[in-house]
Amino acid sequence: MISFLAQPGGLDALQAPEIDYWAMAPLLIVLGAACVGVLVEAFLAKPQRWPVQVILTVLTFAFAGLTLGLRLTKDPKGLTTVAGALSIDRPALFLWGTLLALGFGAMLMIADRSVEPGGSFVASAAIRPGTIQDRAQAGQHGMQTEVFPLALFALAGMMTFVAANDLLTMFIALEVMSLPLYLMCGLARRRRLISQEAALKYFLLGAFASAFFLYGLALLYGYAQSVKLADIAEATGGTDRSDTLLYAGFGLLLVGLLFKASVGPFHTWTPDVYQGAPTPVTAFMGACTKVAAFGAILRVLQVAFKASSWEWEYVLWAVAIVSMAIGAILGITQTDVKRMIAYSSIAHAGFLLLGSIALNHDGLSSTLFYLLTYGFTTLAAFGVVSLVRNADGEATHLSQWAGLAKRSPLVAAVFSFLLLALAGIPLTSGFIGKFVVFRAALAEGMGPLVVVALIASAVAAFFYLRVIVLMYFSEPAADGPAVSVPGAFTTAAITLGVVVTLLLGVLPGFALDWAGAAGFVF
Amino acid sequence: MTEHVAQATGIASWAWLLIAFPALGATILLLAGKKARGWGHLLGSATVIASFAVGLATFLDAVGRSPEERVRELHLFSWIPVQALQVDFGLRLDPLSLVFVLLITGVGSLIHIYSIGYMAHDQEHRVGKANEERSRFFAYLNLFVSAMLILVLGNGFVTLYFGWEGVGLASYLLIAFYQHRPAAATAAKKAFLMNRVGDLGLAIAIFIMFNRLGTTQYTEVFSRAGEFTQPELLAIALLLLLGACGKSGQFPLQAWLPDAMEGPTPVSALIHAATMVTAGVYLIARSNPIYNLTPDGRLGVVIIGTITLLIGCIVGCAYDDFKKVLAYSTVSQIGYMILAVGLGPIGYALGIMHLLTHGFFKAGLFLGAGSVMHGMNDEGNIRKMGGLRKHMPITFVTWTLGYLALIGFPFLSGYYSKDAIIEAAFSQEGWRAWVFGGAALLGAGLTAFYMTRLFLLVFMGEERWKKLKSADGRDYHPHESPLTMTVPMIILAIGSVAVGFLLSKGNTLATWLEPALGELQEGGHGPIPHEIVGWLVLALSALGALTAYLIHGRKSVAVERPLKVAFPIRAARNDLYANAINEAIFARPGTWLTRALVFVDNKGVDGVVLGSAALLQGSSSRLRRMQTGFVRSYALSMLVGSVIVMAALILVRF
Amino acid sequence: MSSVFVTQAVVDAGPVSMGEQVAFYVLGTGSLIGALGMLFARNAVHSALWLVLTMLNLGVLYMVGQAPFLGFVQIIVYTGAIMMLFLFVLMMVGRESSDSVVEVLRGQRLAAGVIGLGFAGLLVAALVRSLTQVKPIGLAQPNAQGGGNVANVGKLIFTDYLFAFELTSALLITAAIGAMVLAFNEKRRRPAYAKSLQQELVEARFQGNRPSPLPGPGVFATANSVATPALLPDGSVAPESLSEVIESTARERLDPDLLPEPDAHALTAPEQREGES
Repeated sequence: MISFLAQPGGLDALQAPEIDYWAMAPLLIVLGAACVGVLVEAFLAKPQRWPVQVILTVLTFAFAGLTLGLRLTKDPKGLTTVAGALSIDRPALFLWGTLLALGFGAMLMIADRSVEPGGSFVASAAIRPGTIQDRAQAGQHGMQTEVFPLALFALAGMMTFVAANDLLTMFIALEVMSLPLYLMCGLARRRRLISQEAALKYFLLGAFASAFFLYGLALLYGYAQSVKLADIAEATGGTDRSDTLLYAGFGLLLVGLLFKASVGPFHTWTPDVYQGAPTPVTAFMGACTKVAAFGAILRVLQVAFKASSWEWEYVLWAVAIVSMAIGAILGITQTDVKRMIAYSSIAHAGFLLLGSIALNHDGLSSTLFYLLTYGFTTLAAFGVVSLVRNADGEATHLSQWAGLAKRSPLVAAVFSFLLLALAGIPLTSGFIGKFVVFRAALAEGMGPLVVVALIASAVAAFFYLRVIVLMYFSEPAADGPAVSVPGAFTTAAITLGVVVTLLLGVLPGFALDWAGAAGFVF
Repeated sequence: MTEHVAQATGIASWAWLLIAFPALGATILLLAGKKARGWGHLLGSATVIASFAVGLATFLDAVGRSPEERVRELHLFSWIPVQALQVDFGLRLDPLSLVFVLLITGVGSLIHIYSIGYMAHDQEHRVGKANEERSRFFAYLNLFVSAMLILVLGNGFVTLYFGWEGVGLASYLLIAFYQHRPAAATAAKKAFLMNRVGDLGLAIAIFIMFNRLGTTQYTEVFSRAGEFTQPELLAIALLLLLGACGKSGQFPLQAWLPDAMEGPTPVSALIHAATMVTAGVYLIARSNPIYNLTPDGRLGVVIIGTITLLIGCIVGCAYDDFKKVLAYSTVSQIGYMILAVGLGPIGYALGIMHLLTHGFFKAGLFLGAGSVMHGMNDEGNIRKMGGLRKHMPITFVTWTLGYLALIGFPFLSGYYSKDAIIEAAFSQEGWRAWVFGGAALLGAGLTAFYMTRLFLLVFMGEERWKKLKSADGRDYHPHESPLTMTVPMIILAIGSVAVGFLLSKGNTLATWLEPALGELQEGGHGPIPHEIVGWLVLALSALGALTAYLIHGRKSVAVERPLKVAFPIRAARNDLYANAINEAIFARPGTWLTRALVFVDNKGVDGVVLGSAALLQGSSSRLRRMQTGFVRSYALSMLVGSVIVMAALILVRF
Repeated sequence: MSSVFVTQAVVDAGPVSMGEQVAFYVLGTGSLIGALGMLFARNAVHSALWLVLTMLNLGVLYMVGQAPFLGFVQIIVYTGAIMMLFLFVLMMVGRESSDSVVEVLRGQRLAAGVIGLGFAGLLVAALVRSLTQVKPIGLAQPNAQGGGNVANVGKLIFTDYLFAFELTSALLITAAIGAMVLAFNEKRRRPAYAKSLQQELVEARFQGNRPSPLPGPGVFATANSVATPALLPDGSVAPESLSEVIESTARERLDPDLLPEPDAHALTAPEQREGES
């Protein structure tokens, strides 16, 4: 047996894989900054950490954005690097750009210390909720600044996730992006128990979904004898192997991916986690996780499984319908703003899946565009949610939002605009996004699905409009919440989201061009 | 028909000021609101007078040119450039539109000046504060003038439609000027709704033109009118007629015009007598190239005109309200004009001529009525008046001149214009001459009757008001009106006397209008020679006046309206049951339809909508229970989903 | 379970010897029993031990399947290191041995059982069907080339899966930070002796009123956790026995308003106490 382990003299010289550091620069910068952030936590005194982390974060995004911009100016098609593990092509660059921009917005909200004095994060997570020490720390103004490196790790995971060109890298990226999110969900300053419950739920269900992904990966490896997407595509092209292995593997893989994208019926974690997590983290999850998950779904479907699409397409049809129906119908009876947006995100996941099943160039570009629009709108919406507060923290119950327009017309107007964008009313980016996705789906012969999507949009519009009606036409509650005046960070994040939502609603051309620049490289 | 259209130059290129002045006035006054209390009336009048000056200059400029150069267009801007639909906003300055410009701005100026005095008093009386709302009134009047000018000056049907709706709006606002009075609000609504019926016809006519020719500009439509098929021409002609009926209070849409007298008297004079209600006549005269091609369409116009003129006369005989009698007189006189333009090339110019003379004397009559009511505590019932000639001599004289002009007293305005129309009606062939000519002749006799009756009851006879008190409990103290009111009346009276002679002498007007309406043709020789028709008209008018004198002039008139009267009078008092007919034919079925739709909406549509909403709500509440909050139940639902997905993917493979 | 069918399916194909088959059946059954035992054991420590059984079986299975390196790693790392850490943590935190076993969701267990079995059935059926057509290759040939099993694994890690391998570090860092964030409380006031020199410690101890060590926890009295307070003869909690490091429900019981009356049942089994409190 020992002879198996080592064969003397047989070792060849190791050929190191070629690595295009410049192409990977945005990803490496974010990863590196996360590690530096950990060192900051280790070596700096507590009061110094927050400013240093904020500066570090801003620098990270600046440099990552810069290298990404430089990358965009050359190399029209894209390349694969690190032995084909990463595919840095146009869709990946688009998604990186989207993730960086959304991540920056979310990081601004995470860094904000003015809306909630001391920030949305608990000063010391190790103290058990409800104890004497916890009551003592409620007055403290510090926060767990570990959130910064954690968020950067998550972002790096997302960026890897959308660029991963083989399933193994994709799986590890999935974990890299999920693990910090599980943690961050549990770090809320207020209502810590529900926050920790959300974290635990997310963690357990996430692990459950990861198991599905991994099992699917194994089966697919058994089928194609490779985890590379390109090899799987090649294997589906023409072999005499039993494709039961292929479809079993595909189905399991899909469950893992759909879970991350919170597509119904794998959505169950979404409302609870959205509600329990600190709002900046919810914004981060709502915007960035969606982008990352659908980026990966697009790549997997279009690169690896395009040839066999007629075998599985109808299954995803059904999943999309279920997701849209669940999101739209369950959204109606929600009484909590964050849960409502969570169900809205489930319905939107259905729309996005519509574009993802349209396995052509239009489907790709329209879904990418939709992700961009949806991300910014959601980001800003959660930004606004974080502003409406009463003595117990955020006032997320809808009854507390009654008559908000009379107290704070600006916030009500901004939120109404964002809700209209989520509903897909013209002159907002949501309309253009839905329009291009539905058009791509129609062109692929998915007429019935588009009809269902339109009905779901109409039903979903009901609960968005209900909030607007509530804000504008109801009498304010007597002990209603006040609207905090946001500090520069949250203001910047909300402004970013609103401006982009408006801009893409009026002048979507440049973003559509960018999204449709080129296809996947594998 | 090809016509020469020159580009407007020189003075005419400033013609846009015609519209701009009053439009600016309206804007300023509306924006200023009550701040304009002190100067609003001055600005309002000044803009119209300025507009009149520009109009006069443009007119004189046109007079100085040869007839071929008198049709000019002024392109202002491209209004609606949408692919196939290219609508330019431009002005058409031709003899027809210039005549209207002078009428609108001229009479308009006089009535603005009159309103200064009228409204000052009016507001003091009604609101308790002088001039409280006067600037709003002038804003609306200015709005009306600019819209009316757009209507007549526009160089295409869409521009015309724009003005058409604009005057409709102004009319609505002005009828409801006393908005606190339910009667005024209702009358405004009625006018608005009945006008919409007509507007629909006009709109559809424009659609047909665009559909067929791809353009709505006058020059192109008229030069290519031959491309329409005969049924299309008939349809366009009748739809335009429907539009004209709505705006001009013609049968069957005449009922709104008498009710519109709820507005202030200057409004009645300007909009509902002299200018706006004649827009229908303008529309038909302007569309003469289309009507020339469709004799059937013209016959329709003639029939409508004839019916209307008789209705107007008959109802006018029975009413006791000063302004309503005049309103029905207006309906009837516009019937004459419609009849005239329906006669085709032998009548276009006659219709326009009667329109002009009528504009003068009817405006004068209305202003006189306003002056009388002003002196009589706003009393409108003529049975409560009588013997007013001694108390308001200027009003009496000017009103009498207008009255004589209207009944066609020899050598006054009406004599020239109305006789010509009756003669033209008689110059047709066969039965048409007898029917239409006879009706027009009868109308002349009835006109003389009701106008004389009005004259006698108001200005002659005993002073019945002495024993009475007005509704608000005051004694009547009839008095002459201030100078701002009497001067316009005097000018209009002079016009009533002289305009007819001036315009008809040597066919001045007909020749002037030739470039726009074509040559005025002589009618054929009807069954009765022209001279004899003239004498017949005089004789019948005299007979009508005499009858009125015999009935109302010799014996005292009961203050209370006699209730036991013969059926014809009852019918006339009820507007010949026009409202009942409208009610029965349009309103009832409309109500039924609405009720049915409401029923369907409530039970069917709402049922479906609310039902599906309830269904969604219900399924939402039920599905919500699946969100238990327990991780194990979440994991189970994920597992269920996975099993279904896997089964769907794998089972088909076995 | 699925593996059973797999072997049956490939039984005729070349390089699977009789000995291998016997080994497979034994090990496969063992790992399955271990897995089910882990699921159904009520005591967390027992669960962990069942898991150890599964992992051991799997490790041996790997070795039988010509992947000796993986087999060793499985045993050394998973069974040896990770599971032992698990056990330590379980012992230390020592929740009461069983969680509530009352299912409040109606039909949850039945549905979970049915669906779970259905899922397993689906997968097994699919695998049986597909693997009949798969020829086993074995690792004998690759293991004989390029420096053997270990070298080949290493080679793959540093070439084809370099990025995935490197990225795993992010995962480890995250896990470390997570543990710190959730467990480490730097705000806690340390006991005075932690910062003191040995000399001072000795002086403090002898000049203080407790020269003896603090009483140990009551692990063996009522529960298996070090957080369990020791009980004084009258049945009340000995405050000195409470750990300063580990927070537990017991510590909360010391909050004045929560301090229980001494009761005679303190020494009875935990299950019985459950009902009263």
